[in-house]
Amino acid sequence: MNVLFGLVSAMVVGATPILLAAIGGTFTFYAGIFNIAMEGMMLVGAFCAVLGSFFLHSWFLGVLCAIAGALIMAGIFILFAVKLHTDEFLTGIALNLFAVGLTTFLLRDIFHVKGAFTDAGIRAIPSVKLPLIDGIPFLGRLLSGYNLIVYVAVLATVLSAFVIFRTRFGLRLRAAGYNAVCLNSSGVPASMIRIWSLIVCAVCCGLAGAYLSLGYVRLFAENMSAGRGWISLAAVILVSGNPWGIAVISLLFGFFDGLTVFLQGSRIPTQFTAMIPYVATLGSLYLYSVRKKRRQA
Amino acid sequence: MRKQTLSGILGVLAAFVIGALVLALQGFNPVATYGALLQYSLFSASGFTATLTRAVPLILTGLSASIAFASGPVNLGQPGQLEMGALGATLIGLFVHLPSAFLIPLCILAALLGGALWSGLAALLKRAFAMDEFIVTLMLNFIADYFALWVITYPLFDPSASSPMTRSINTAAWLPDLGGVNTSVLFMVLAAVICWLIMSRGRSGYEWRMTGQNPLFARIGGCKVDANYVRVMLVTGALAGLAGGLMIMGGPHRFVKGLGANYAWDGIMIAVVASNGISGTFLYGLLFSALQQGAIGMELVTAVPSEFIDVLQAVIVLVVVAGRVSLNMVFDRLATRRKLKESAR
Repeated sequence: MNVLFGLVSAMVVGATPILLAAIGGTFTFYAGIFNIAMEGMMLVGAFCAVLGSFFLHSWFLGVLCAIAGALIMAGIFILFAVKLHTDEFLTGIALNLFAVGLTTFLLRDIFHVKGAFTDAGIRAIPSVKLPLIDGIPFLGRLLSGYNLIVYVAVLATVLSAFVIFRTRFGLRLRAAGYNAVCLNSSGVPASMIRIWSLIVCAVCCGLAGAYLSLGYVRLFAENMSAGRGWISLAAVILVSGNPWGIAVISLLFGFFDGLTVFLQGSRIPTQFTAMIPYVATLGSLYLYSVRKKRRQA
Repeated sequence: MRKQTLSGILGVLAAFVIGALVLALQGFNPVATYGALLQYSLFSASGFTATLTRAVPLILTGLSASIAFASGPVNLGQPGQLEMGALGATLIGLFVHLPSAFLIPLCILAALLGGALWSGLAALLKRAFAMDEFIVTLMLNFIADYFALWVITYPLFDPSASSPMTRSINTAAWLPDLGGVNTSVLFMVLAAVICWLIMSRGRSGYEWRMTGQNPLFARIGGCKVDANYVRVMLVTGALAGLAGGLMIMGGPHRFVKGLGANYAWDGIMIAVVASNGISGTFLYGLLFSALQQGAIGMELVTAVPSEFIDVLQAVIVLVVVAGRVSLNMVFDRLATRRKLKESAR
């Protein structure tokens, strides 16, 4: 039984950052932006979270700093890709590089360390016991007691599904990606919708970053997003942006990520277990293409 | 072409100004910092030769990305292909005993094959299962990284070392220094010239570029688009693999942990600023190499963290790319105005 609970909690830990970033990515996906800057936004978010939490002595302000940092990245993306019409792909690549460079530079410049910064002064985001469910014997242990951001991620998934498919903003969002000219001629500037989608994306990626550095651990390490932004992009593309699909895919990745932690004590070398999430991404891409081919036939 | 040069020079200058502002805000002296940067990368004999050697992997991975992007395939797998190439060269260098004249070409061949194998895997997945090479190559990077780490931690581990690395390769496979410059530079220049010939003078380069610009046009014009796709992937993978092989043979002579990490995204970055041109890739490769080389001296003299260069590089990329687009818009507007005046007359 303990193995099951351990695996579930490892799965949730692995899934949360990917889910949050992918939910952000789905907004830009529907708005018709080829946004690959999630990785960079997440990394800056993770750094700013530690920065805020360490200097302002509050995890909440740390999370706010993370969101602010990711928003600055989104601002640069908006300036270049939306306002100056630079290629979105190039802007995204440059932003990701900028994020790696900036965070390593600031890590040296502010904390005077190389590699990773950890300190007892960093406040972590607390775990939450759900009021009613916590008391139920089996369900309580399965559903309650996770980090606050985990519940925020669940909420974000439900909310995004509602916003995208049930509200006027969602309709305009999908129209911006589907037919921007049509949206423009109906009096709603598509560029405005795109800007909003990027802002939403930045908030989600900031939260994902904060979870990386303040949720499970309390440290910032160079390049600690470790390709999670790319995996979340793959998740968005795989399910064509559907939030429920993203939730399923993220849990799947979380499962494989959790498996990595689980297999660490076994005889398999860690280098191979660490490959699992990336191999799983390739596997799901394969399944996706097979399904697509079958549908076309 | 002249417009490109102009926007490039203006962009780099603007990026340096932004960098100076960042430095000034942090309380450093920008003039002294840039002075030290140049001193240690270009204006000293040892710095200049080190800059050239450092440019080898940068330019080769840059060429790999440039040729791929110009021809269509979004090959983002240079880091992984570099490591597989380095692994190939290391394997031959460790276990084959031959005189230099045979061993060096053999090692280079192994490096080319190692890189091509890894990009070929992505090409195979694309052709057989229509899996997007953009995500596949990215994921293969991580897999190659962990695989290489496993190889140097267990099967090829040097028992006398404290961190994961292989034993030193046979001295016959070491690339000698010629007047302070490592011969790997010659191989790099040779590869760059061949790339330039293929892309701007050869028929296959023309076909590739046309496919990159308009696949439908290329197909109707009689190009074998699918076969070309595989060829481009193999060639670009081999280039990145060559970068890894030359790094092993010219530099530490062994596969050490984190070999490719420092050059991870640099090739793609260089291709992006050079807008996939061969000569541009060469020049920006030298520029970025000079920056990275000078960074060490700069940290020594002015106490500015060497990571500042990473920020500066990203700023250069953003400003040059955005500047190119804006400058084109300005030129277009000027041309329109001139045409309007002519027609009004």
